[in-house]
Amino acid sequence: MSDVGRAVADVRHLLWFRAATLRRPRAVVVALAVFGVVTVLSATVPAWVTVDVDTISGAARALPAALGAVVAISVASAVAGGGGRELLARDPASIHPISPVTDHLGALVLAPLNTGWLLQTWLLLGFTALVAGPSRLFGAQVLTVSWVLAATVLGQAVAWGVEWVRRGPRGVRVVRLAIAVVIAVLAAVGSTDARQVLVAGPARVTAAAIEDGNVTTVALVALTLLLAATVLVVVGAQLATLAATRTPRDEGRQESRTHAARPLPGSGLAMMSRIDRASVWRSVPLRRGTLLLAFAPGLVALAGALPWSTLILFPGLVASGCVLLFGVNLWCLDGRGLLWRETLPVAPRTVLVVRARVLAEVLLLAGLLTIALGAVRAGMPTPAEALAVVLALLVVVGQAVSAGLRWSAKSPYAVDLRSARATPAPPLAMVGYSLRLALATTFTGLFFATLAAVDRTGPMVVVAVVLLAVSAWRMVRAARRWSDPERRAAVVAVVAA
Amino acid sequence: MGRETHTAIEVSGLRVQFGTVEAVTGVDLNVEPGQAMALLGRNGAGKSTTMRVLAGVVPPTEGTAFVGGYDVRDATLEAKRVVGYCPDVGGLVPRATPWEHLQLSARLRNLEGWESRAKALLERFDLGLVAHRVTAGFSHGMSRRLSVVLAALHEPSVLLLDEPFDGVDPVGVEATFEVIEDARARGAGVLVSTHLRDLAVQVCGEVAVLRGGTRMATISSGFMAGEDGARAYRALLA
Repeated sequence: MSDVGRAVADVRHLLWFRAATLRRPRAVVVALAVFGVVTVLSATVPAWVTVDVDTISGAARALPAALGAVVAISVASAVAGGGGRELLARDPASIHPISPVTDHLGALVLAPLNTGWLLQTWLLLGFTALVAGPSRLFGAQVLTVSWVLAATVLGQAVAWGVEWVRRGPRGVRVVRLAIAVVIAVLAAVGSTDARQVLVAGPARVTAAAIEDGNVTTVALVALTLLLAATVLVVVGAQLATLAATRTPRDEGRQESRTHAARPLPGSGLAMMSRIDRASVWRSVPLRRGTLLLAFAPGLVALAGALPWSTLILFPGLVASGCVLLFGVNLWCLDGRGLLWRETLPVAPRTVLVVRARVLAEVLLLAGLLTIALGAVRAGMPTPAEALAVVLALLVVVGQAVSAGLRWSAKSPYAVDLRSARATPAPPLAMVGYSLRLALATTFTGLFFATLAAVDRTGPMVVVAVVLLAVSAWRMVRAARRWSDPERRAAVVAVVAA
Repeated sequence: MGRETHTAIEVSGLRVQFGTVEAVTGVDLNVEPGQAMALLGRNGAGKSTTMRVLAGVVPPTEGTAFVGGYDVRDATLEAKRVVGYCPDVGGLVPRATPWEHLQLSARLRNLEGWESRAKALLERFDLGLVAHRVTAGFSHGMSRRLSVVLAALHEPSVLLLDEPFDGVDPVGVEATFEVIEDARARGAGVLVSTHLRDLAVQVCGEVAVLRGGTRMATISSGFMAGEDGARAYRALLA
């Protein structure tokens, strides 16, 4: 059997293993069915919706940018994830002869289990349906699907390339510099009229073909995209093989790093906070993810000179992203050390309060950084806008922390957050968490943005107090549950397994 | 609640159930102050679950368990204060250093002047040079040795060591022997769960054998030593 044939067979075996070891198979089937239905609906329904010509023209104008956004999300997710998702986590996979090509194909299969990718793809399918209408729908969606496929494969190939460089000599520094340069160029170009360049080339050609609907053009562009996707799969496999020959540098560096002893703090609470903060900031995926989520939206806001009315939505975006880094499985920060920590003479409620506080700190820090960057070109906010941003930040942090506490106790997972590719829960569970958080925090942001627009500070404060009280009540309930030794023992047994 | 007792560990009719699985189906144990007892048995015999109950991690389904006179169910925090526990797996926070682990334990137990003892223990277990390195990169043996150090730091009156010799080099085994001897000398009760019968009988006065979650026998280590002891052990496991 050829290497590729073996890799495909191995991906099949690994998928079977993942399916066979699901905790709640029925829920997974329902979730996948929902994703399928939403995809079909977003790809078809807008074609039959009666809208005015201006709306269709607006969608057509936005199409190249929407196509470009899929590429940006695919590349950013795969690069930030150190090569994308794993079909089998590193430690259990280490005893099996899983080739880098299998790893590459597995990451491609799991790439759609990413909320950003899903939302952008649904949006793109919707735009395409709106622009093409019922008569040209099939050809247009074939083109869009081909684009999404090519963009996803490109993202994966770029990620392996970046990973190969990162693992090489002075790689971490080179990659950081390259990312800074790319962000600076994007910010500079994006802030001028030259921003059209960002969606020029393939995106504009594909958008034109979708709009035009000529069968020959559509077939030609779709075939080109599929050919490009095939070539990129092979290139990605080669780059994955190259990357596998090098040890992950930043992980190795973290694991052998020494930290000078600091004086003993005055209280147990402070000492626990210190250990919990160290667990976050010394973890490669957590540090990388937090900084990405703090800076990326802020730089977008900076480049686009977004107004305060839009900035109000950003704390929700950042908080819901950051809580996914570890907040949905808070106890995994301790890894197997949770078993030892559970034997220390401290009230369970105190441990939970410290953990929640550290999570809130991370969310607040990321949110404040984003707002600070966005504020540079947003001008002076009105008092209502300033109040809305502050309240939105506080409320979404409360919502995210209370959700994290609930989910961490309800569905714990044994996860080692050493690898940049590690996530605190399986991919599908992450999508579920992500969608629920995004829904809650986006509605919250929209609510405050609407009240700020009509200058209603009184209702804003009342709503914030009510929402914060709901979050506080949920946290108290989570703390009460955590005080139950049987529930706690069950979480410890899973996390320390 | 605490009560007047002279027994370091007192377990009676212990039963632990996880869902439909009965991990421990009836264990009775008594370890006196200054006594070291080994807990032997096959995989799944209930040794680690019994240890976790005594460490206050797993609540008993039925029966009672007292450590240092404290009921682990009703006086969990007090029980945790008098216990030093080395877990069977990992037991270390991956991104904290050994010194930070020791600081956390010392702070939560309000220890005074613990630093010199901590340094001596780290040196004894050959961990002095890695005291400030994060534990994620530790080998299995290093993790085991550090877990014993953490269990022994506060000179507990009940020392629970779950598989302390697993994957540990001779220096570490010798250091663990010393920790057990020190604990006995100061009047602590020691319970050692292990698969390594030869090591267990060297350091413990008595051996309790568990099978299928039940205690089969408690016998003097002398009867479990050598070839005769091996035959007796196999007979108890059969």
